[in-house]
Amino acid sequence: MASADKTINTDVPEKDVFAIHFLQSLSNLRIQNLFNSPDTTNYRVRKIKKAAYVSMARAAGGTSRLWSRALLRRAAKGNNKIVRFPRRKRKVTWKISSKRRRSDQRAPVVEDAAERLRNLVPGGGGMETSKLMEETAHYIKCLSMQVKVMQCLVDGLSPK
Amino acid sequence: MDVSEEKRNRDSSNYDDRVDNPTVDWQVSGSNPVSAPIDSYSQENLISACPSSCSPSQMMDSFGQTLWYDPTSVQQAVGYGGGFSVQSNGGNASSSSSSFRGNIDRSLEMGWNLPNLLPPKGNNGLFLPNVSSFLPPSMAQFPADSGFIERAARFSLFSGGNFSDMVNQPLGNPESIGLFLQGGGTTMQGHCQSNELNVVGGEPHNDESTVVKEPNVRSSEQSKLNVPGSGNVSEDTQSSGGNGQKGGETSSKGFDTRKRKRNGQNSEAAQSHRSQQSEEEPDNNGDKKRNKEQSPNSPGNKTNSGKQQGKQSSDPPKDGYIHVRARRGQATNSHSLAERVRREKISERMKFLQDLVPGCNKVTGKAVMLDEIINYVQSLQRQVEFLSMKLATVNPQMDFNLEGLLAKDALQLRAGSSSTTPFPPNMSMAYPPLPHGFMQQTLSSIGRTISSPLSPINGGFKRQETTGWEGDLQNVIHINYGAGDVTPDPQAAATASLPAANMKVEP
Repeated sequence: MASADKTINTDVPEKDVFAIHFLQSLSNLRIQNLFNSPDTTNYRVRKIKKAAYVSMARAAGGTSRLWSRALLRRAAKGNNKIVRFPRRKRKVTWKISSKRRRSDQRAPVVEDAAERLRNLVPGGGGMETSKLMEETAHYIKCLSMQVKVMQCLVDGLSPK
Repeated sequence: MDVSEEKRNRDSSNYDDRVDNPTVDWQVSGSNPVSAPIDSYSQENLISACPSSCSPSQMMDSFGQTLWYDPTSVQQAVGYGGGFSVQSNGGNASSSSSSFRGNIDRSLEMGWNLPNLLPPKGNNGLFLPNVSSFLPPSMAQFPADSGFIERAARFSLFSGGNFSDMVNQPLGNPESIGLFLQGGGTTMQGHCQSNELNVVGGEPHNDESTVVKEPNVRSSEQSKLNVPGSGNVSEDTQSSGGNGQKGGETSSKGFDTRKRKRNGQNSEAAQSHRSQQSEEEPDNNGDKKRNKEQSPNSPGNKTNSGKQQGKQSSDPPKDGYIHVRARRGQATNSHSLAERVRREKISERMKFLQDLVPGCNKVTGKAVMLDEIINYVQSLQRQVEFLSMKLATVNPQMDFNLEGLLAKDALQLRAGSSSTTPFPPNMSMAYPPLPHGFMQQTLSSIGRTISSPLSPINGGFKRQETTGWEGDLQNVIHINYGAGDVTPDPQAAATASLPAANMKVEP
């Protein structure tokens, strides 16, 4: 699929980038002095998870990807921060959800799965199916990278 | 009564004579426009449009008003005076035009409130000011007349000063008024090119000249353009001409560039439609080409790289369009073409995903594949959650000072390494290129810091994985510990073994 790869760009930065971003966010968490009380494990877990996702989104390309934009926007909303995204030079294939009604008629098998996928992938609600699959591919790559980084960190830090 | 008022109110010009041309069947009738369909108004409106007793500038205004028929304002116009207000308010031209453009489709269907404005006498011509405002809806009704269109184009091109001259000449035929009102896309579009030429050659127009855009814009039925004012006449005309839509006008081909500019991402349907046009010209023979598609040749099909419409070099990303041709023996309906393009896009991406998701090679079929993909994404997300839980419990105090670590390491590494990964410009930090070793060092230093007070050092890290990056990391950590370089003072150790790593020790 040489021609396909030419049009679909799912390049993902190296692990180092993910690692740096993640460690940075973790140290930020540390600075916030969240980890003093041990009974807030759940809170810590959630914070770490959120930090992991945000750092992954940043490492994966910030605002140049639809899913990362949606992720960052979601996270910023939680913090009540106002996030401003720079205008994209490339046109974004935004498809309004009303168009998806028509796509329901197209290969309903595919569309059902696409609907489930949309719930999983951040920002999927506004994407058309083909764009959704592109974003899913990139998302999968970044997720696996992030998982590897976190695994390494856990392994490095866990006492044995 | 109203007509005479009209005459008096406007500076008289010699348009009245034109208006009264009996040959014109656009006599403004007294029938109630509200109830009557728009059709009945088409001609009446035309009459009044061109020859009015107003001065050229006013005339232009009224024309502009006409073209930029603002349905809301017209409908609100209760009486003749209302009609006047619509017209005389030249300042509303652009706003009404833009709103009108948005409503152009609606307006065509809207019933005229024209009857309110029309004097009950239903006389000819004198209602021009009012009628002109209602012209837009009647556009659809006008008989196609190529001469009309040319006259209208010429008419619209003239600036206000020349208006009288221009009006005088073509207005000899009252039909000329109807030029602007040529409704529907077809006729006007067919003549869009001539209009475009005329418009481009026109002088810079002021407000009144915005009228020029109207015939083209309106004829295109999808005028999404803003009418900012005079300066953009030519551009708008072209773009409006380029808006030839599924009506499948050949004139739209000439405006491909404009159309692409605006509708860059729009509708494979439009693309396939345009390509469909080109298909129809050469016969639907077996020599069909498909743009961007390298799919295996189905029997009897020739799928070459796409051939673009127009004379441009085949460069799909440049113009944003995908030109599709129907394969031999397949339907050439624009919808099915777009459908096919879409399906192939999706299957192409699914193949791409198949390589990503482990264990999907044996699976065939979209449904199962998609389920696998969904499961994989879910499992990855669960893994992230699990690992974050682990991190939270394993390392209650994550007290590694990263700023110093990163800064100094970054400085050190910047000199010697070459960038391998593209760093997105929106990254918060300006990262130098980092080799793999950086992560190892980081983790090892972190590991040393955390683990040294906690657990026995020797043989602390026995790792199964020896391959790849993780293996290197573990090896590094193991070696560091084995060498006994660890000192109670992590900072000293860090600075000793690492290039200026700054690690804070937990108290």
